[in-house]
Amino acid sequence: MTRYLRLIRIFTGATLAAQLEYRANFVGAVLASLGQVGVALLGIGVLFGQPGTTTVGGWTFHEALLVTGFFMLTEGVISVFIQPNLSKIAEAVRTGSMDFTLLKPIDAQFNVSTRSLNMLRVTDLLIGVALIGYAASHLSVTPGGVLAAAVLYLSAVVIVYCIWLALSTTAFWFVKTQNASELFSGVFGAARFPVTAFPLPVRAFLTFVVPVAFITTVPAQALTGRLPPALALASPLVAAALFVLTRLFWRRAVASYTSASS
Amino acid sequence: MTPLLRKARVLFVTKFAEMTEYRAEVIIWMLSGTLSLVMMLVWMAQAAAAPGGQVNGYSPAEFATYFLGTWAMSQLMVVWVAWELDFEVRQGTLSPKLLRPLDPMWQHYAGHLAERVVRFPALLALVALFAWLSGASFTHDPWAYPAALGLALLGFSARFLWEYCLGLLAFWTESSTSFQELVWLVYAALGGMFAPLAFYPQWVQQIAVWTPFPYMLGLPAQLLAGKASLADAGRGALVLLGWLVVFWFVRLAVWRVGLRKYGAVGA
Repeated sequence: MTRYLRLIRIFTGATLAAQLEYRANFVGAVLASLGQVGVALLGIGVLFGQPGTTTVGGWTFHEALLVTGFFMLTEGVISVFIQPNLSKIAEAVRTGSMDFTLLKPIDAQFNVSTRSLNMLRVTDLLIGVALIGYAASHLSVTPGGVLAAAVLYLSAVVIVYCIWLALSTTAFWFVKTQNASELFSGVFGAARFPVTAFPLPVRAFLTFVVPVAFITTVPAQALTGRLPPALALASPLVAAALFVLTRLFWRRAVASYTSASS
Repeated sequence: MTPLLRKARVLFVTKFAEMTEYRAEVIIWMLSGTLSLVMMLVWMAQAAAAPGGQVNGYSPAEFATYFLGTWAMSQLMVVWVAWELDFEVRQGTLSPKLLRPLDPMWQHYAGHLAERVVRFPALLALVALFAWLSGASFTHDPWAYPAALGLALLGFSARFLWEYCLGLLAFWTESSTSFQELVWLVYAALGGMFAPLAFYPQWVQQIAVWTPFPYMLGLPAQLLAGKASLADAGRGALVLLGWLVVFWFVRLAVWRVGLRKYGAVGA
């Protein structure tokens, strides 16, 4: 275990050193983050800007802002930690450099999931946390709520990671996976609003088929103390089940890997 | 005139053959642009929950019609030329294209038009499916459809030119793609992707009418919904034409200055 922690430190140091070489890119990353938060805020801004509108899907403005905060935070988690790593799987399978990963004396899934970071998009994480903090300061939040939200957000991150890994793992059979993750981003865009803001059939889709509801709505509900206990239990269970399934899927994929030359 | 026409024909035919290779991807790209659809669902739920069954005079079915319209238009406005230019400048694949007796812009333009032809049948099928699912109903006035398509062509050309300028920024900066994200935000906001323009604050609307954006998404969507007249379409087309001329000259200027910079790197 300590070995894996040490590896994470080495990996992080190496990618940081490489990225700080290109300081001008930081400006671009900040612009892109601003664009993203702009889209998220305009969406709810226009909704609540209508005369007579006080709630959307039963959520007040600051409660909905909480969801937007979790959405931005997750965008950050994806672009800092998940996407830079997992998008390389397809490339490694195509060129055969996956051989080196599999030969190393550490777990291959750990290696492909932690090897690189995109520190430039840390701004997304900061914006997300700031939005959550701002929204929470206008709501009555209990320490218990914060704790529950933190735990549930952890399961949310696991869920996002698992979906992304499952999509990327298909690269062992299909050479291109970029499009699959594009499709996920499209559906994930719905997470910028509380799931109750959608018509009933769509709500069911976002909860049971693609568990987007667990990623932003559930942690926000926990923070405001409005979370039904059943959902509080469901989120870690979904995360655990997805983790086991993707782990099995990953091992299956690696077992069928025959290198690029054969 | 004939050699020019022949050039255009060959360009289009080869690009069409190239784009049909990507037909599966085209469908996936279409489904990944969901912002209009997400906003549609949220507004429909808002209207259904509102006391009179409507928000600002829009019933759920009217929201469905408007947002499906903007979705269809945004599908016709898709432009990725900035991304390609960024790649070509960085990798140097622009150089051989400069040797041809044809501005490289026309290859990109033909490619985008050809992709639209591949996209169109799938677009019609998806709009029909979504309209059936959401209860959207489009106008019966036959003239609204060619008018909307005409605006789409003008709007697409304008967007193509400004994205081309943004892509050419790759001559100077590493992060030209992030400028794209910001410009896209303005386009989506003022175009009416979040809500019909009438839902925005008054001062925003007053600024928006002078920009090309409302005539690219919102106006054609209102035409298809039967809420805008052909006279509105004509006015929008004039504004778009004006911007088209502006973007055309900006593009020429950026291209000339940028090319000098590019040559300097190679020498």
